[in-house]
Amino acid sequence: MTLADASNVTMNLPRRDARDKLLGRTRYTVDRKHPGMLHAALRRSDIASARIIKVDITDASRMPGVRAIALAADAPGMHGIGIADHPLFARDAIRFHGEPIAAVAADTQAQAQAAAAAIVVETEPLPAVLSMADALAPDAPLVHPEWRSYQVLVEGGVRGGNVAWEATVIRGDTEAAFARDDVVVVESCFRVGRQNHVSLEPRAVVASYEDGRYHIETSTQVPWTVRAMTAKLLGVPAAQVRVTVPPVGGGFGQKFDCTLEPYAAILARKTGRPVRLVYSRQEEMLTCLCRENAEIKIRSAVTKNGEIVGREAVVLMDCGAYGGEQIFLTTMTAHTLGGNYRLGSVKLASRAVYTNTPPNGAFRACNGVYNTFALERHTDEICQKIGMDPLEFRRRNVLGDGDIGATGQVFEGDVLGPMLDRMKRWRETAPSRKSLAARRLYGRATVVGTWFIFVGPSTATINLNADGSATVITAGVEIGSGTMVQALPQIVAYELGLHPDQVVVRSADTDAAGFDLGVGGGRTTVSIGAASRAAAEDVRRKLLAVASEMLQTPPDRLKLASGRVEIAGKEGSGTSIAAVVQRAHEVIGPVVGSGAFTKPGVTAMPGCAAGHFIDALDLPVFAVHDCEVAVDPDTGHVEILSYKVVQDVGRALNPRAIHSQIQGGVTQGLGYALHEELTIGQDGCIRQNSLETYRVPLALDTVPVEIDLYEGAPSIGPLGAKGAGEVPILNVPAAVGCAVANAIGRRVQQTPLTPPRVLGLLLGREPDVDLPHIGDDWWDNVLMKRPS
Amino acid sequence: MAVSFVVNGEERRSAADQMTPLVDVLRDEFFLTGAKAACREGACGACTVLLDGNPVVSCLVPVGMLEGREVRTVEALAPTEELSPVQQAMEEHDVVQCGMCFPGIVMVLTSFLAECPQAGPDEIKTALVGNICRCTGYERVVDAAVALAQRR
Ligand code: FES
Ligand code: FES
Repeated sequence: MTLADASNVTMNLPRRDARDKLLGRTRYTVDRKHPGMLHAALRRSDIASARIIKVDITDASRMPGVRAIALAADAPGMHGIGIADHPLFARDAIRFHGEPIAAVAADTQAQAQAAAAAIVVETEPLPAVLSMADALAPDAPLVHPEWRSYQVLVEGGVRGGNVAWEATVIRGDTEAAFARDDVVVVESCFRVGRQNHVSLEPRAVVASYEDGRYHIETSTQVPWTVRAMTAKLLGVPAAQVRVTVPPVGGGFGQKFDCTLEPYAAILARKTGRPVRLVYSRQEEMLTCLCRENAEIKIRSAVTKNGEIVGREAVVLMDCGAYGGEQIFLTTMTAHTLGGNYRLGSVKLASRAVYTNTPPNGAFRACNGVYNTFALERHTDEICQKIGMDPLEFRRRNVLGDGDIGATGQVFEGDVLGPMLDRMKRWRETAPSRKSLAARRLYGRATVVGTWFIFVGPSTATINLNADGSATVITAGVEIGSGTMVQALPQIVAYELGLHPDQVVVRSADTDAAGFDLGVGGGRTTVSIGAASRAAAEDVRRKLLAVASEMLQTPPDRLKLASGRVEIAGKEGSGTSIAAVVQRAHEVIGPVVGSGAFTKPGVTAMPGCAAGHFIDALDLPVFAVHDCEVAVDPDTGHVEILSYKVVQDVGRALNPRAIHSQIQGGVTQGLGYALHEELTIGQDGCIRQNSLETYRVPLALDTVPVEIDLYEGAPSIGPLGAKGAGEVPILNVPAAVGCAVANAIGRRVQQTPLTPPRVLGLLLGREPDVDLPHIGDDWWDNVLMKRPS
Repeated sequence: MAVSFVVNGEERRSAADQMTPLVDVLRDEFFLTGAKAACREGACGACTVLLDGNPVVSCLVPVGMLEGREVRTVEALAPTEELSPVQQAMEEHDVVQCGMCFPGIVMVLTSFLAECPQAGPDEIKTALVGNICRCTGYERVVDAAVALAQRR
């Protein structure tokens, strides 16, 4: 394989980590071992809601091989996002089935498990709320009766009872819009279940305690969060915690929070030995921080010619027993359900609701996937009601240059419109696969989606070495998406006139690299990339100053290319970068540069948004998906006949790598759309406890994904790039849901579209989703007071 | 009672309990961590090794069954760092993402393509039915395997 010209940043750079991964040599966290290492196991609750009367470890601590047992008293702190509502171990109250009560370290895994099982936990059962409808009922038991006493980490969210957090958007006068006599009012309800990430590497950590500091090697996307949260929970200064990250065997958002690290850290300190904790697949199935189940009611006032003059919506997000990521994700509704289209006026309420169920978390295009499903299905219901072609409706209403979004932020550039045009042309020119449906029901849909990359702070340091290579130090993590092994070396090499192979990327270590918000939300290429580019510019400036003197040429006439500094227009007259660095050692010292990046601060309209962590988002990303399906009328089975993606990538630095992100993301979305769902049993335990009962897509489910990368949209990312890994999943349930609705001529209000559910819809046996616990008057659904 | 069996061409002995899954013996005793114990219930294929030439999920094979038998792990496919043809095809097609599934996928494809060197996409997909990959969507895995089969 020949590489593209290194002076050109766009290339299909192969992955440097592929070889070892194929050879089975890569050492993930689960493969790490240290001499004297102990194994840990957690004792978890087997009840959803209870008061703890007594935890007795007498017998357990005498069992063979047991070295230490940790309990609530060992972790005084509370953690959370927005609200510190989450203790490491259940203290007085158990709030979900599977909640950790104690942690054991022993010589072997089997010994640790046996001792954990032998801990005596005496409880008094309490009533449990297992659904959001139960949690919002007027006399519902409170999951956190003491919610008022919790430390507030971020101001602004309205809270109360089982509502962990409420974010609202109010722009314009929807009452007036709905009262107009020239509008049609369309109302839709949707419900979606939980999705498990099924990262093949489960959550895993090895912790040790040396020289008064904790060293945590962990499979995480957020080393700095792990550092801060571990310190907070253990009540020690954050500087006492060092986090390093081996290659991560899949994340998808599951590892975007601190979870099991503090248990291992406490046990390591107690024993003075390295402690390994790896969650079993069953623990991963039962307590993984899933994509939350959600319920959505949305209604719109639309004129005959398709103008959306008013929109009101309520989104309930089940955060489980602790707020976690969902508190932050209430923010996203404004930008996902409130996205895509121009709205005359809008009211949105996005509520994270406590239930006595395992806590949920972040999952690729969090909140956006189901809100896009709801929004696009609602849009098709509008089109049906007013009799307008769905493509035409979208073309007229999608946000374009200068339009304002739900929170009043002004959009820059026409992107979704031209992307839709491109998909329309593609649909017209590529042959339809309708004939493959044969006697089955055929449906097709084109849907749009809006995602926003969370940018936020990142930093990078680059050492330019005397051999002409560069070392990039960041807290970025390679979770499989290729950013750290492809995009980053490409960006730095481009800036410094090197080949990407000459760019060494250090793996994350909080002792070496500065703060980073973490790998997620599509921000890695953008934020870490931009910080690295800034560091490279710093290096470049210093390098050129020295070279300028060596070559007796002003810096602005010098170029960096192919490992050399050249005088512009006189190729071959310069010198090697290595020689310049060696010279620098004598005159200024080693060449090192640093760069930092944070959000540029796009603004919302003042007063629109309340309780949001981010009022306006800095970097929108758009996607248009088109899907053809065949539905078997006898079985309800849905087959995907074709799948097309037009994705806004800003600038494709590595098209081949982006294609693989899209193929993988669409497949994960098809799993969610068609068969992946976790459900909660009467006992509050998740019913699907293994990969036998939770079906993820397999090779036979593969659908060829046709891809068109849309370049040229405005981007603050380095060299115009945008994150490409998060977005591919965004529109998938929407595309499939709309296509299936078109095929069967019924309302699709839920995912996954399993054969029984689709058959139920066809036979009229599937009950309507009508969400009686979401009131018809928007104001009845919010804690904030209706202005009088 | 210790069990003797051949691992990657070498005679090995394990004193582990007879019911210990092979994957644990490979990983914990012999430090062959290529095979991944990603589910321990036979559902993901990440722990696949060849037992007397046939692919098996090593999480479901008790070590006590192995007396005198022969195990090959992913580490044996390319002892000198020269990639095997299957591994090479995967590398060329830039298939790998997080990589956790690949030791298993590579073992399955190695044995399958040895038996059906001219397999087409449908047969390859069927052969991979026991391997979960959460990252790639399989499309490129299959493409790479098909390209290899066509080259033969
Ligand atoms: S670990 Fe053996 S099949 Fe999953
Ligand atoms: S590459 Fe991650 S599971 Fe296959």
